[in-house]
Amino acid sequence: MTDCALSLEKISKSFGDVRAVDSLSARLPAGCIYGFLGPNGAGKTTTIRMITDIIHPDSGEIVILGETAIERVWHRIGYMPEERGLYRKMKVRKILSYLGALKGMKGEALSRAISRWLEELGLADKADNKVEALSRGMQQKLQFIATVINDPELVILDEPFSGLDPINLDLIQGIMTRLREAGRTVIFSTHMMEQAEKLCDYILLVNRGRKICDGTLDEIRERYRTNQVVVELEGDTGFVGELPLVKGSKKDGRSLEITLQDGADQQELLMALAGRARVNAFQVKVPSLHEIFVHLVGESNG
Amino acid sequence: MGKIFKVAVRDYIETVNTKTFLISLLMTPVLIGVIIYISRMQEKGEGPQPPRHVAAVNVPDELAADLDSAFSRYNESHPQGLIILEQHGKGENEGREALLDRLREDVRSGRLEAFCVLDDDILEGKGGLHFYTRKVSEFEFGRTVRDLFSEAVVNFRFIKNGLSPKLVNELSRRVPLEVVDLSAKKEKKADGFAIFIVPFFFMFLMFFGIFGISGNLLMSVIEEKSSRVIEVLLTSVSPFRLMAGKILGQCAVGLTLVAIYGTASYITASLRGMSNLLNPVMMIYFILYFLPGFLLFSSLIAAIGSACNSLKESQNLMQPLMMVVLVPIMLWFKMVQHPEGTLAVVLSFIPPMTPMVMILRLAARPDLPLFQIIASFLLLLLSVPAFMWAAAKIFRTGILMYGKPPGVREILRWLRSD
Repeated sequence: MTDCALSLEKISKSFGDVRAVDSLSARLPAGCIYGFLGPNGAGKTTTIRMITDIIHPDSGEIVILGETAIERVWHRIGYMPEERGLYRKMKVRKILSYLGALKGMKGEALSRAISRWLEELGLADKADNKVEALSRGMQQKLQFIATVINDPELVILDEPFSGLDPINLDLIQGIMTRLREAGRTVIFSTHMMEQAEKLCDYILLVNRGRKICDGTLDEIRERYRTNQVVVELEGDTGFVGELPLVKGSKKDGRSLEITLQDGADQQELLMALAGRARVNAFQVKVPSLHEIFVHLVGESNG
Repeated sequence: MGKIFKVAVRDYIETVNTKTFLISLLMTPVLIGVIIYISRMQEKGEGPQPPRHVAAVNVPDELAADLDSAFSRYNESHPQGLIILEQHGKGENEGREALLDRLREDVRSGRLEAFCVLDDDILEGKGGLHFYTRKVSEFEFGRTVRDLFSEAVVNFRFIKNGLSPKLVNELSRRVPLEVVDLSAKKEKKADGFAIFIVPFFFMFLMFFGIFGISGNLLMSVIEEKSSRVIEVLLTSVSPFRLMAGKILGQCAVGLTLVAIYGTASYITASLRGMSNLLNPVMMIYFILYFLPGFLLFSSLIAAIGSACNSLKESQNLMQPLMMVVLVPIMLWFKMVQHPEGTLAVVLSFIPPMTPMVMILRLAARPDLPLFQIIASFLLLLLSVPAFMWAAAKIFRTGILMYGKPPGVREILRWLRSD
């Protein structure tokens, strides 16, 4: 096992005049959930396809599970493409055993894994149905099983949540978390920030083929912290604006949004407030990933 | 190799295990059977027909008796389809226009099949017969009537010139011919029917084995592409192995078909006492040419399939390929008569045509120069890796290409990509 599940070194890809991915670099630590975020057309799918060797980068180097030749680690990878699709006329169990066998699994172990996964995702009674007889959501789950059937060390999911209902969404997210706990690495792309915020240890934010920022979720939040607090005070709040710690304040219904001076400590503000009025609520404002995303994408587009 | 095999097994099972395959398997021999049955029925005639009436106008009196005897001889040998002749002699020429109008009416109403008007000088050898009918496309009937008139007229001329028709017939009999086939070790009388049909049968079986399943391969490749399952596959198996596996799987399907049809034909031939027409050496030649021929063609088909998103799109690219295959079929009659002619020899050395042309020639003439057999086989064999290499390159690029189907020129450019 390497500590780095995947590293991208200045990979670029152009289609005609369009630079879909522009000198992108990243290192993905093993054993984490890695969110690959960006607006539509940011180059997420192109990057993932380069990682899986579906398309070749024009330049740059990709090292996956310690290998530059992906075919050596195929059996240790699971990939769910953005465009889903399976053999429509094949039966569920047969598809899984074919794809599992291509990943190098055999016999008893394979059929046990199939049964276990079908059971877990509620498809056990569909094992002998043809794919075309399944609902869209079921096909989606089947595709997920096909991706993880070989218990891969590295799971690559391109937009795994699109088209899932809330129940299946929870189911798949639960499995992703469990895979991480079992030491697997999960990479997924999405533009749904709430899911990323809930799941990711690491985040890579791209726009127009370029990296905007990356790091752990906490690091990123810290980096883009705005030093604001939201408070609810009893009585007159006019004094707040005159406190030396405060840069500005904005009333929002019953609550007050206070922006502190650069470098000012929120704890000091709390003390100052408590000395003057009754504090019913005091919350340090953490920027949501959504806000950071909108802010950064807007900035890089501007 | 393991993955190629797994791909092959899946493709074989998924192709053979469909209703379409079973139906096509059953339908083809049934269809052939029906065609044979119909053509046999036609030879025998279609059962008793109502007698057909024909009128003749301007019949010279001297000819009347000869005509009657010619028609009655015919009717004796064709009791299923009598032809009744009504003669109108020169004596009726007074009201000829009225007569002709009446006969026209009779033909239109269906009482008469046809009527004919004889030229005045028909007996002297210059004039002829004018045939009036509603059913011009039934030329065979017109020819029969013409033959019967000729017979009568010629008979009359012989007698008029003091010759016995019987004697003339005997004297002018053509020299009989018996063809003995020396191309096999055992001399045998050649069977005119078998000489043509057996080579055609072998060529057709080759055509069928190679092409009958090409649609399956095309569909199987396009299915993987259009359902996008291809991206999942390509993170488990390399494009070349995937293609090789699919080709092998379909090759097995082709062999299954050939085995079933071959066995069925052999049994049929044995039942009809013709099993000597299908000898084991031909079977060996067949397999030898079939396998490389199949690999070569299915590489091309896999390449075409990879470049297209639907069967419809593939039609354009399939056309040139079909042309190549149809050439031997269009020229088989000429090649079967001249198995060592320039045409046959040249076509034998064009690899995509080699299997069909060679099996046709070998069936027509088992003692072809050994040099040609070996050289054409080697050329075919050597061209297989070249075709597969080119196809793999096209496949690698094409299978992941969506949108507008590429033209031939763009496909050729893929060959140069790395």
